Amino acid sequence: MALIFNTFTRVLEEKMRLLSITSVNCKRNKMYPIPRLRNPTWLTRKERAPIDEQLTSENREFLKEFVQDKITESTERAKTIVTNKIQWTPKMQRTGVIAKKIGVYPLWKKNGDMICTTLLQVMDNHVIRYYPPENYESPRQLRPRVYNKKGCLLLGAEIGDPSTFTKEYCGLFQDSGVLPTKFLARFFVSNDAALPLGTNITAKHFQVGNYVDVRGKTTDRGFQGVMKRHGFKGMPASHGVTKTHRRGGNIGGGGEKGRVWPGTKMPGHMGNRFRVARGLKIWRINTKYNVLYVSGRAIPGETNSIVYVFDTKLPLKKPMKELPFPTYFESENDEIFEEDLFDDEIHIFSSPSITYNEK
Amino acid sequence: MFSLITKSRSVNDWNKISKTLIALSSQAAPIEKSVKTKDTIRKQILEYRHVYPEFLPDPKIEFRNSIREKLERSDMVARRMQIDIPEFYVGSILAVTSSDRHTPGKTQRFVGICIKREKCGLRASFILRNVIDHQGIEIMYNMYDPTLQKVEVLRLEKRLDDELLYLRDALPEYSTFDVNMDTEILPEGTPVPVNNIKVKLKPRPWLERWERKHLKGVQDLGLPERFYERAKELDTPWEKYDLMKEYMRTIPEEEQLEIYGEVQSELHKLELQRKKIRRKRVFVKPTKLA
Amino acid sequence: MLLHKINSQIAQTFRIFEKSCFHTSSPINEIQKQTRLRVVDNSIIGKQAMAEGKPPKCIHVYNKTGIGKIGDKVLVAIKGEKKKGILVGLKQNQKLKVPKFDSNNLVLIDDNGTPLGTRIHVPIPTILRTILKEKTQAKGADYTKLLGIASKFV
Repeated sequence: MALIFNTFTRVLEEKMRLLSITSVNCKRNKMYPIPRLRNPTWLTRKERAPIDEQLTSENREFLKEFVQDKITESTERAKTIVTNKIQWTPKMQRTGVIAKKIGVYPLWKKNGDMICTTLLQVMDNHVIRYYPPENYESPRQLRPRVYNKKGCLLLGAEIGDPSTFTKEYCGLFQDSGVLPTKFLARFFVSNDAALPLGTNITAKHFQVGNYVDVRGKTTDRGFQGVMKRHGFKGMPASHGVTKTHRRGGNIGGGGEKGRVWPGTKMPGHMGNRFRVARGLKIWRINTKYNVLYVSGRAIPGETNSIVYVFDTKLPLKKPMKELPFPTYFESENDEIFEEDLFDDEIHIFSSPSITYNEK
Repeated sequence: MFSLITKSRSVNDWNKISKTLIALSSQAAPIEKSVKTKDTIRKQILEYRHVYPEFLPDPKIEFRNSIREKLERSDMVARRMQIDIPEFYVGSILAVTSSDRHTPGKTQRFVGICIKREKCGLRASFILRNVIDHQGIEIMYNMYDPTLQKVEVLRLEKRLDDELLYLRDALPEYSTFDVNMDTEILPEGTPVPVNNIKVKLKPRPWLERWERKHLKGVQDLGLPERFYERAKELDTPWEKYDLMKEYMRTIPEEEQLEIYGEVQSELHKLELQRKKIRRKRVFVKPTKLA
Repeated sequence: MLLHKINSQIAQTFRIFEKSCFHTSSPINEIQKQTRLRVVDNSIIGKQAMAEGKPPKCIHVYNKTGIGKIGDKVLVAIKGEKKKGILVGLKQNQKLKVPKFDSNNLVLIDDNGTPLGTRIHVPIPTILRTILKEKTQAKGADYTKLLGIASKFV
């Protein structure tokens, strides 16, 4: 009897195993299974539905004060956090920062050339979490697996009112002691670059003359035609052309290839996608307002949008000099910074006009 | 509650601005200390928008950011400390001396009438026009370009229009100015004179359809009636009553006060300096007779 | 009667065309083939052509875009002859601090870069010093001779 039951359960288990999704995937394509998309653990619902809590104005004031106290407390604490400095080598990767694109304005070089720079304001970044390489599971499992993995650092910026966030979202910030922030970002860092939780990162993390990559979400332009989206030429305005002035024209051949090929450029949604502008030089840093002046004006995103700034990945634009690793700490050396740090090539506004000397 | 707080803050700011203003004005004229009301001070500050229009940011709401504007303003003031960029208007005659990289060791001086002022912030620029050797020449300069050595106003005046681009189609004598012109110094305290000159245009073809531009400083264009009819058809006279458009196009007065209140002390210092220099120039030493 | 009316109408419309020679967009003032230019030196052929009211016509621009910029060499048809010249002033909008002229100015040169005239009677932009120096090759034509006959620089 027992034997029959045992065999029955084994068969059932086998059947169940075959039915489960993973096993099906494995069987269908053992080499390249379809990557399973899972959201990262910090991607919880952020905003809470607003509830009228029927508080008296005094109580509300008290709550506000309480939050303010907490904010000052946490920022004070963030300043005291220090780790030991590590010698930087070119293969090491530091964390990036969350910044805000605040506009474009020109600077002049010492030879009289005008360059356009975009201003990126580094917000009050705090380290929220650190996932060591063995603990971090990528949301997308790709084959072949990446060995020599890096750790993942979760940063938050712009502290918000905690009462507007959900419980789960606030839970993310419990370990770090930072109040819940409005924006989060993750950066992969080499093992030594792990920062203690709650560390504040400022614009001094970057150096004038180095290159950075900026990742941002491009301006949402909605559903656009082929001329705006892909820069097609359109068709003539006259000469007997009717109703096809801004259309794309032919989208495929006939015969054996008589279908629309994948990747054909057609009208569709334009913008609102993450794009990276790579290899932008830092010309100037304002340490008072934490502003980076970065070359170029075509940085993805509108003015006042959030961008992510990190050391460039372009091999030829890697920094030559040593970087503050893992980040710049205020107390480590009492070097007094001027308010504005300029690149050597840049003309400083408070210096006299440029003259060209005869050679 | 929140709104109340902001209100009180703005009132505080206002008080601060007015206090500094009173202090500054008292330096200039100690007699009328108590007489100066809030209104006159306000007017004084708002006068800056005509003198330094480039300090007002682009009113387009998508491009605004208070920190960027503040940084830009501080850079502009830093540059103004190095080079004296005087008050001038479209229609004033300027002489710009700039260092030229194509002729090292030398400077270029160009005299001409300002026919356009555009853009704001560090990007502010203006166009000068002159006719030299019967050849019309225009040069565009960036106002805050560090290669500019000197900007002089030879004749300070306004014209009837905001842009004088029609001088390109006018007879050459209207945009001919002597290169070796002397500076005309206005007596202190006089308002900026308006030149009522009516310019005569060349016969058509023109660069633009001037009959559609509502020009005031132009003589009768002498076109057939149908041109004016068409211009009337395309005219949009209701736009000046469009409050929303007006709002989107301009920066509110309160914000202007805040902006100019921030840079006021520096600008005032520069103005005093300029006045001193001008006084020196007006006083001419009597030359010895015989 | 009707025919006469139509005829008169057609004549009227033609007259309008003659008079207005309208354009719908602001001109970009590019120098390309068939553009009329103005000779600004005192070479005999140039002076004659300008006096006759038959200014030279550009028939080729020696660069890769086919659109003449300041300092470019062009081939012009002038008084039934083919001559080379250098553009020394443009109507087109220029960069900051580079002068923009009211006419497209040309100085005639020969194959060695020697100007045909002895004097240029309008100002020429200083940026030409750098441009012409760059264009002059070691063994080719020497365009910088043109700068020697200029009367004024702006």
